[in-house]
Amino acid sequence: MTNNLAKETFEEFKNSFSYGSRTDMNFKFLESLSIKEGGEFFRELLWKIGDASNDDNLGQVVEHVYNWQVKAYTGKPSWEYDESPFSPLGKPLSESSIGLLTTSGHYVEGEDPEPFGVKGMDQGTAQARISDFIKSEPVLSMIPTDSARENLLVRHGGYDIRAAVQDFNTVLPMYRLVELEQDGFIGSVLGNTYSFVGACSQTHLRNDVAPRWAEMLKAQGVDGMILIPV
Amino acid sequence: MSVGHIARTFESEGIPTVSFGVRAFKSRMLPMSIPRLVLTPELMGKTLGRPHDVFTQMRYLRAGLDLLENAFEGNTWIEMGDIE
Repeated sequence: MTNNLAKETFEEFKNSFSYGSRTDMNFKFLESLSIKEGGEFFRELLWKIGDASNDDNLGQVVEHVYNWQVKAYTGKPSWEYDESPFSPLGKPLSESSIGLLTTSGHYVEGEDPEPFGVKGMDQGTAQARISDFIKSEPVLSMIPTDSARENLLVRHGGYDIRAAVQDFNTVLPMYRLVELEQDGFIGSVLGNTYSFVGACSQTHLRNDVAPRWAEMLKAQGVDGMILIPV
Repeated sequence: MSVGHIARTFESEGIPTVSFGVRAFKSRMLPMSIPRLVLTPELMGKTLGRPHDVFTQMRYLRAGLDLLENAFEGNTWIEMGDIE
């Protein structure tokens, strides 16, 4: 048995959660923290776990992680635009046809988009190949709104998919939109929703792909779109 | 930042949009001048809240759809608060 772990520095330890030996999508933000901040994160985490052991309030632990996630991801933007294009909804919501598109990486069983020609790629492989994904053109999966829960699959190398597996409505609120249609809150939902892996080439997406998707949706008579990232 | 690029393209093509995002990405999303944006106080990967929390999912969606219908200019965004 080697003694490599004993020589691991704290910086190596905290960075290992971001596509390293301890990959954990919920904690990949640790890499963005300084050594001092990382130390503070763990010190406070352990303290709050101690508190939770007294009062069973695990919410304070989740809140701690959330606050540090916000802190870690706050920074200089990659994309900046001065103007905001705008199209008004041309009719009341209750008469509008609403579509849904998410970056969650969902697809219907039997219709695997097979990234890089790999059939049945698992989540671990998707995480390991994240650098390939972010260089590639995104592939859109069509998901009918009447899809059975058990027929939906999800794979995305950039986030922890466990919540999306338990309930796809956390990032693909397809059933909620059907309920809003039944309530009359919206006129109708497009018959298909759409999902792709948002970790993709942003240049391809912006210049080539998104305009094609817009044409496809307009041909379906959509009045407005809901867009949800992860 | 995929959603930002899609939203901007769709709006330019005449399709109104409302985008969502978790608050952790606020500093990256706002500079994209996304036409309509709802920021939620959730962890990354759970944009509309925890699994099976139908109440929260509906609360966010209704707020977003309200923004879709009533915003009158681009770069309009709201930040959802925690439930009191």
